[in-house]
Amino acid sequence: MQELIQQSFTWQNGLVFFGWGVVFLFVVLGFVTYAIYFERKVIGWMQLRHGPTRVGPLGLLQTVADILKLLLKEDTIPKKADRALFILAPVLVYVPSFAVLATIPYTQSLGFADLNVGLLYYAALSSISTIGVVLGGWASNNKYSLLGGMRSAAQMISYEIPLVMSVVGVIMLNGSLSLRTIVGGQGNNFWEWNFLPQIIGFVIFMIAAVSELNRTPFDLPEAESELVAGYHVEYSGFRFAFFMLAEYVYVFAISALTTVLFLGGWHPPLAVLDFIPGLLWFVLKFSFCVFFLFWLRATMPRIRVDQLMSFGWKVLLPLAILNIFLTAAYIEIFNK
Amino acid sequence: MFNFSMELNGQTIAFFALAVCVITGAVLMLNFTKVVHMVVSLAFSFVGLAGIYVLLEAEFVAFVQVLVYAGAISILMIFGIMMTRHDKQDEVIMKPWKEALAAIGCLALFGVLFFAIRGTQFPTPADKPLSEDNTLALGKLLFTEHVIPFELLSVLLTVAFIGAIVLAKNDDPTSINPSSALTDQSSVSASEPLSSGLQQLQEPPKGGNPT
Repeated sequence: MQELIQQSFTWQNGLVFFGWGVVFLFVVLGFVTYAIYFERKVIGWMQLRHGPTRVGPLGLLQTVADILKLLLKEDTIPKKADRALFILAPVLVYVPSFAVLATIPYTQSLGFADLNVGLLYYAALSSISTIGVVLGGWASNNKYSLLGGMRSAAQMISYEIPLVMSVVGVIMLNGSLSLRTIVGGQGNNFWEWNFLPQIIGFVIFMIAAVSELNRTPFDLPEAESELVAGYHVEYSGFRFAFFMLAEYVYVFAISALTTVLFLGGWHPPLAVLDFIPGLLWFVLKFSFCVFFLFWLRATMPRIRVDQLMSFGWKVLLPLAILNIFLTAAYIEIFNK
Repeated sequence: MFNFSMELNGQTIAFFALAVCVITGAVLMLNFTKVVHMVVSLAFSFVGLAGIYVLLEAEFVAFVQVLVYAGAISILMIFGIMMTRHDKQDEVIMKPWKEALAAIGCLALFGVLFFAIRGTQFPTPADKPLSEDNTLALGKLLFTEHVIPFELLSVLLTVAFIGAIVLAKNDDPTSINPSSALTDQSSVSASEPLSSGLQQLQEPPKGGNPT
């Protein structure tokens, strides 16, 4: 794939790039469809329920039916809403969520763009989604969606800082912002992966990532039992589907990013298992990260909004800075 | 100075597309009447600028631009706007001589920029292509050659940061300080601007205070 990207740009190549983009879009849509099914099943089992069972064998077509329902629903725009921004907001949320996936390397050869600022690209684009969320909340002209949008933006901004700070240690160890180089710097045994030397960074990253995703225990922006639903109260049908889609694409992105940064990407956990293709290892680790998010959702209670903010600023941020300091000291002492 | 030589390749086309985006954003920003719309068009302009940086092979600057300007600054402005009152979109009546002066000023600025840019000899890049590890080179320069300005800037930022905290940490419950809403939404001082932002959404405000 790398050779393909290095070629000169012609109409044919452009079509090939476009084709790959479409294929990848469908892979992501397939992931989202079955991630939702999987989430409902897993949470169902953990709570001694069955989860969806009716539509299709084992309920496999439940999400497909849900999506069909969303697409067929009437698309309502409130009369007093700010029409242009109301329409723009779901687009602003979704486009960055798909664009961040471009820089993630899946295997040695499979991956789209190897940017030398890959990590920064991720952080930068995901911050645009926040604008979409705030605008969606504001444009609905509804106080509950405004509250949801405010909460969401405050939370996403507060946790983006520890999220980015926690990976600085990884960047320092590898000396590069490029995600491909970061995976390359990790070895074929699980003790050579970044999560062990960067255990503080890893824990901060996981917590901040869950919060970035607005998922339980940090799902205050769309807390079903507290707010009506959050910033997307007034949205229906296709536009609502886009907000949900963006959320699950970010689940994909964060899980892939965790795999790449801390869990060794395509490397096997033991060197003797090297014969198994790298993509399989990537998918396994990636699936574990996704499962971890669902697991958290099934077992953790929601925390209060003031606890959320003070935890982000007073605990995670100082810890992340401490982690940077420790990593710098380690590099200074041992690698000189 | 006036001999423009330009070949029509992908880079030129991309540059013009991005330049049109930036200018459109800027013009829309001036012409919109709602403040939130203005901020969105400004963010659009910022993203277009980031695209131009990418075109110039300055990826680091480009994504920092997106992160700081299109992301953080825009959200900060949206917050600020939502938490203050904007009941009337007041029309500013421009006096004709003011417009003429503004036009002359714009032309003069354009002239200065044009002559300065056309008159400058830009150094040709070294043998190595710019895009190769420029982030690494940037970091090394920042921490070796330019370390004193860098440290001074960080001290300045720390001072500003502490100053902001001191200003926001006002114990007087009647004062309105929107900045604290970012860190603690549940505090008394933060709930006031939020509710006044909500008031603005209840249109039209009939007589009494809806909250």
